[in-house]
Amino acid sequence: MQEIKRRYVVPGDLIGDGNVRPVSNVVRIGDKIFATRVGIAEVSREGARVIPLSGVYIPKVGDLVIGKIIDHSAMAWEVNINSCFPGHLPAQDVFGREFSSARDDMTAKFRVGDMIACKIAAFDRSRDPLLTVADKDLGKIPKGEIVRISPTRVPRLIGKRGSMIQTIEQSTKCGIIIGQNGITVVSGPTPDGILLAVKAIKMVEEEAHTANLTQRVKDMLQSVTGEKIE
Amino acid sequence: MKRLSKLINEQGIRTDGRKVNELRPIKIEVGVLKNADGSAYIEFGKNKIIVAVYGPKEVHPKHMALPDRSVLRCRYHMSPFSVQERKNPAPSRREIEISKVTRDALEPALMLDDYPRTAIDVYIEVLQADGGSRCTGIAGASVALADAGINMRDMVAACAAGKVDDTIVLDINDEEDKEGQADMPIAYLPNLNQVSLMQVDGKLSKEEYRKCLDTAIEGCKKVYQLQKEALMKKYFGDEIDVGGSE
Amino acid sequence: MSKKSNVIVEHLRRAQMNDLLAAGKRLDGRGVTESRPMKIETDVIKKANGSALVTLGNTQVIAGVKVQVDKPFPELPDKGLLICSAEVLPLASAYAEPGPPDEDAIELARVVDRGIRESEMIDLKKLVLIPGEKVLAVFADVSVLNVGGNLFDATSYAVVSALLTSKIPKMEVKDGKIVDTGKLMETPIDAVPISVTMARIGDTILVDPTSEEEACMDARVTMTTDAEGRVCAVQKGGTGTFSVEQINHVVATAISKGEEIRAKIKSVTGSG
Repeated sequence: MQEIKRRYVVPGDLIGDGNVRPVSNVVRIGDKIFATRVGIAEVSREGARVIPLSGVYIPKVGDLVIGKIIDHSAMAWEVNINSCFPGHLPAQDVFGREFSSARDDMTAKFRVGDMIACKIAAFDRSRDPLLTVADKDLGKIPKGEIVRISPTRVPRLIGKRGSMIQTIEQSTKCGIIIGQNGITVVSGPTPDGILLAVKAIKMVEEEAHTANLTQRVKDMLQSVTGEKIE
Repeated sequence: MKRLSKLINEQGIRTDGRKVNELRPIKIEVGVLKNADGSAYIEFGKNKIIVAVYGPKEVHPKHMALPDRSVLRCRYHMSPFSVQERKNPAPSRREIEISKVTRDALEPALMLDDYPRTAIDVYIEVLQADGGSRCTGIAGASVALADAGINMRDMVAACAAGKVDDTIVLDINDEEDKEGQADMPIAYLPNLNQVSLMQVDGKLSKEEYRKCLDTAIEGCKKVYQLQKEALMKKYFGDEIDVGGSE
Repeated sequence: MSKKSNVIVEHLRRAQMNDLLAAGKRLDGRGVTESRPMKIETDVIKKANGSALVTLGNTQVIAGVKVQVDKPFPELPDKGLLICSAEVLPLASAYAEPGPPDEDAIELARVVDRGIRESEMIDLKKLVLIPGEKVLAVFADVSVLNVGGNLFDATSYAVVSALLTSKIPKMEVKDGKIVDTGKLMETPIDAVPISVTMARIGDTILVDPTSEEEACMDARVTMTTDAEGRVCAVQKGGTGTFSVEQINHVVATAISKGEEIRAKIKSVTGSG
């Protein structure tokens, strides 16, 4: 059985010695491994990592993110993806290779202030992230309430194989899109359902580092809706 | 200018009632500002300082960005009401120098290579000053940077020691700063055992220098424990007991 | 995104805001004449003569009062000095840059100053030591710590609260020289001006706008009134307009909200 040692750490805390493989948010200095963030340190057979509890979203290729259109040039929209870099969505991604700024009107598709679901198509250290909406379920978000959480809490909100988010969706009868960048969109048929979903999301964000969170969220949802959750 | 009375009395007690190796009361609160990415409020005795960190973020103007790492910018500033005589809000030469040495003190702890083409801005605002404000600011900045989730290889603690009435004392206050014989602010990376800020004002023999440095570092270690406690409290709640490293 | 100095509010949020306004409600659940929760702590900076930390919703500002001996203005030899200034610190928002105050920060300081000066809150004549030569100068400086909307009111309440609780040095003139007696006295207060800021979004006038509401507003107005219900200072801002009817409504609201907030400030500062 794999044993995982867990501990709360701040930057500079010693996590292990040189025999351990550094995985993420740790640094090897000499023959020691130190934490580089405030978070939960985990040392297992796989190595040493720290699950961070704060920090800006750094784009990763393939991530689904929710962005806000803030500007456009002749060739691309500039998108705020809640990161230290602006995202760029090329007009060609939407209009096709034959896009011509003389003929095709970019603002007819996306205007400043629109929210879009998109994926990170390309990103490396030398340039700003490139976005795409050329996939199923991507594109302009027509309605919903936007809830912002720390990007570090997104894995907890999704849960193991989506268990946490599915519990919230089923119980509140809402649809929730979760961007890896910490922006979520909640939509549903009743204002009360939406309110409850927002409450559940905020609860996960607040208590992400605690144990038994899934059970407590279930209890909270059950106490409001009166419906039992499996 | 010679003082008529001593700064340390015959019982070894200083003007504010402390012993020579005693720190002033320290208070640290994490995450006090809503808009900033990371923030801290810190008190060393009567020093009251608030620190905000914004970053990593886009650099403006764009030509200031570096291709392989983040640019760290620090601003140490005193509010007009923070000192005895009302201070003009425009940055003074002293504030500009302190901003620079603060940046030099924090940079070795930050893993700036992880954030190319970005900037990290640290804003230190002194609401009330009482000797040792630059160390208070640096200690607060380190906490705010950790709160912002910026990769750091270590925390940065800071504390000043000095020579007063021919005695090496820890954490000098305003009076001791003005009327004492020497003053040594230090910033220290506790897990790497490295010094990142060191300035000296006044005369110290070789032995006094060594003692002053050791005293300041001992002070930094105590400050570090409080920085850790403050971060743990914000992120993990009151029940967490801060032990040593495993 | 930080090159844009105004926040872009997403359309989804605007739509939500407008739907709620049609029912007289706002995004944070408030009614249109409701102010956000306000907390005032005075005497937080002991080295200053007076100080106040004000939290109004998410907006946080701190005011410090310093009183010093100075020369009067040549054309006003029998009056002390009152100088209000404000700085939106780069701490306060991702859009605030370090540097000399921009036009928004200058407007903020001058509007707050006008409200205090025109209401004659401080009897400047009582601050004279040697007419034409030495007077007391009262500096009220505000540092904005967090921008969350309605800096005008938060800043004004901070300065007013700080002045109401300031202790100034009692000076004496002995043989033509100014001597500090070492005693303290209350600041000579004649009035308690209260500013009320309102934003117009469509046909609705909202009291105490948040940052989001300010980003969506057509126009704003800050109106300062005294305890006698007189308007002492007004500033209209923003690129939109107000109708005469709306202005009359604004005046009535400024007076009634002013009374409510004046009572709160007087009770917090113990000057009721």
